[in-house]
Amino acid sequence: MASLSLSSVRKNYGALPVIKGVDLSIEHGEFVVFVGPSGCGKSTLLRMIAGLEEITSGKLLIGSKLCNDMEPRDRGIAMVFQSYALYPHLSVYDNVGFGLKLAKTPKDVRDRKIREAARVLKMEHLLDRKPGQLSGGQRQRVAIGRAIVRQPEVFLFDEPLSNLDAALRVDMRMEIAKLHKELGATMIYVTHDQVEAMTLADKIVVLDGGVVQQVGAPIELYQRPANLFVAGFIGSPKMNFTPVRVDAVNGNRVAVSGEDVINLTVEADPSNVSPGDTMTLGVRPHDLAPNQAGSIVARVGLVERLGNETIVSLELVSGTNWLVVLDGDRPLARGETLALGADPAKAILFDAAGKSVTRRS
Amino acid sequence: MRSRASLLGGAIALLVSLVVFVVPFAFIVLMAFKDRRQANLLDFSWPNGVHLWDNLVTVVTTRNWMLVTAFINSTILTVVSVTLLVLLGAMVGFVLSRRKTRWNPLAEFLILSGLMIPPAVVPTIWLLQGLQLFGTLSGMILIEVAYNLPFTIILYRAFIATIPRDLDEAAIIDGGRPMDIFFKVILPLLWPVTVTNIVVQSVGIFNDFTNPLYYLPGNANATVQLTLYNFQSQFNTAYNLLFTNIALITIPPLIVFLFFNRQIVAGMTAGAVKG
Ligand SMILES: Nc1ncnc2c1ncn2[C@@H]1O[C@H](COP(=O)(O)OP(=O)(O)OP(=O)(O)O)[C@@H](O)[C@H]1O
Ligand SMILES: [Mg+2]
Repeated sequence: MASLSLSSVRKNYGALPVIKGVDLSIEHGEFVVFVGPSGCGKSTLLRMIAGLEEITSGKLLIGSKLCNDMEPRDRGIAMVFQSYALYPHLSVYDNVGFGLKLAKTPKDVRDRKIREAARVLKMEHLLDRKPGQLSGGQRQRVAIGRAIVRQPEVFLFDEPLSNLDAALRVDMRMEIAKLHKELGATMIYVTHDQVEAMTLADKIVVLDGGVVQQVGAPIELYQRPANLFVAGFIGSPKMNFTPVRVDAVNGNRVAVSGEDVINLTVEADPSNVSPGDTMTLGVRPHDLAPNQAGSIVARVGLVERLGNETIVSLELVSGTNWLVVLDGDRPLARGETLALGADPAKAILFDAAGKSVTRRS
Repeated sequence: MRSRASLLGGAIALLVSLVVFVVPFAFIVLMAFKDRRQANLLDFSWPNGVHLWDNLVTVVTTRNWMLVTAFINSTILTVVSVTLLVLLGAMVGFVLSRRKTRWNPLAEFLILSGLMIPPAVVPTIWLLQGLQLFGTLSGMILIEVAYNLPFTIILYRAFIATIPRDLDEAAIIDGGRPMDIFFKVILPLLWPVTVTNIVVQSVGIFNDFTNPLYYLPGNANATVQLTLYNFQSQFNTAYNLLFTNIALITIPPLIVFLFFNRQIVAGMTAGAVKG
C-alpha cells in the first residue's frame, strides 16, 4: 500500500541549497538504500520523508497522499536513529510502548504488541531494564522494536549500525534483512557503508551534493555506473581511472590509448563516441590481470599479500596510482615492472562530462 | 604524614562548620527554652527551667493565631510560586534551547536583565495597584515568580541543551504532540534540575522577608517571616518568644532540605558519566 514518490524535492537552509531537486519513486515493500559521501544530504532527505524537516519545494507522496505538510505521526512512518534515541527514564517495555500509549491504545492490545515485538527481536528478557543498562546492540534492538510496534508502512533508518562493532554489525545487518522479509514493509536505509548497501538493498540511490547520481540495483550500479562519481563510489577498492584518447570506433568496440594505456579495446555504446575524443578510462582493481601482451605497463609499489588475494599498488607511466587485486598469492617485488591486461567487457569509458558510455545491455 | 595532615584538615573543617552552623542553631533552641527574664540577658547559658511549652503556646496564639495564618499564607505562596516557576522555567528553557528564531537574542537579553537590574519597588506597587493585585496573595505569587524566573530559566536551559534533540524527534515520530514531548520526555529528564530548583526557590521564597514586607501589607496577609515583628519593638523585645518563633519557622525549610538532600547530590552527579 505504501509506495513512495518524490518529485523535484528541494531543501534549502536559508539560501544554502542542500537537496537540489530529487525525483525518486519507491515501490511498496522495497528496500531502498541511500548512500553517498558525508554531507551529501542523505539524512536531510530521510528526515524530509519523516517530516522532521520541512520540504522547501517539490512533492512527497506516501501511498497516494500528498505528505508535504502532514504531521510525522500521520505519515505512517517509523524511524530508527543512529543514536538510538531511547527515552532514558523509561524501561524497555515503556520505550517500545511509548507511541502506542500516546495513541491511547488499550492496555491489553498494547501489551500484546509490545511482547510480540520483543519476541521478534529476541529481547523478552530485557523488557524491565532501563536503556542505560543495555549494550549497544541491545539498544539498537529496542530502537527497532519501538519502530515495529507502530506497524508503519515505511521504515526509515539513519545509519542504524554505525555505532556497533564490526561483528555485531554483520549480525544486525542480517536481522534487518530478515525483518524486511518478515514484515514486507517498505524500508529506506541511510548508510555510508558499501557492504550494507550492496547486501541489503533492492535498490540503491547514490547521492552526491544533494543530487541523485544514479538509482539502480546494487549489481547494476557496480557493473554499469552512470558516471564517474558512482563508479568511484561503489566498489571497494575504488575503481582506477586514467585519461585516454579515442583512436578508432568499430561497431561497439572502441580502441583507446593514452599515456598509461597502449591500444586497449573497450566495449562501449558508440553513438556518442568519435575518434579523437578525450575520455576517462575506468577499470576495477579486480578486472585487471597480468598479461605479457597487456596494454598497461606499470611499476609495482606496495604489495599486500593476504593469502587468498594480493593487493598491489601500481605506479603508471604518468605517475597515476592504481590498485590491482590479483587472485591467490603472488610474490611480487617492489620496483618490478608488470604488464596488465584489462577485460574489454568490464572496462568503462566516461565522456568529458563524466557520463559513462557503457553499452546498455 | 599525609593522613595526619588530612585528619587535621578534616578536624578544622568540622570545627569551623560547627561554629558557623551549629552554634547559632543551638543558641536559638536554648533561647526557646528560657523564660523572658533569662532570655533578655542574651547569653549562651543553660535554661533555668523548661519554658518551651509556654513559649510555644504564646507564640502560636499571639495576635489571634497570626502564626497559623502566616504558615498557611507562606505555604500557599511557596508551593504555588515554586510550581509555577518549575513549569514556566522548564517550558521557557525548552523553547529557548530548541526553537531558534530571531527573537531569541531579545528573549535572552530580557532574561539576563531580569537577573541584573534590581527591581524597583514603588513602580511595582503602583503597577500592582493598577491591576488590583496589591496586597493580595496572588499578586505576591506573581512577584515571586517574576523575580525568580530568570534564574530558573537559566538553570533549565543549560540542562536542556544537553538532552539530545534526537529524543524530541523520536517522540515526534512516535506521535507526540509538543505537550506530550514536554511532559512525558523532557520534564522527567529534568528531574535533577527540578529538585535543585525546588529546594533553592522554596527555601528562598519561604524565607523571603523584604518582598512580602513591601507588597503584602496587612495582618491577614502576614507571611511567616513577618511574624517576627510580633515580638520585637524598640524598647521591649521578648527574646524567648522571638527565638521560639524563629525555631518554628526554620523547621519547614530544614525538612525540605533533609528530604531532598540525597537527590540534590544525585542530581549534581547525574550526567557526569555517559548513560
Ligand atoms: N540545520 C542546518 N542548517 C544548515 N545546514 C545544514 C543543516 N543541517 C544540515 N546542513 C547541511 O546539509 C548538508 C547535508 O547534511 P546531511 O546531514 O543530510 O548529510 P549526510 O549525507 O547525512 O552526511 P553524513 O553521512 O555525515 O551523516 C550538509 O552539508 C550540512 O552541512
Ligand atoms: Mg547523516
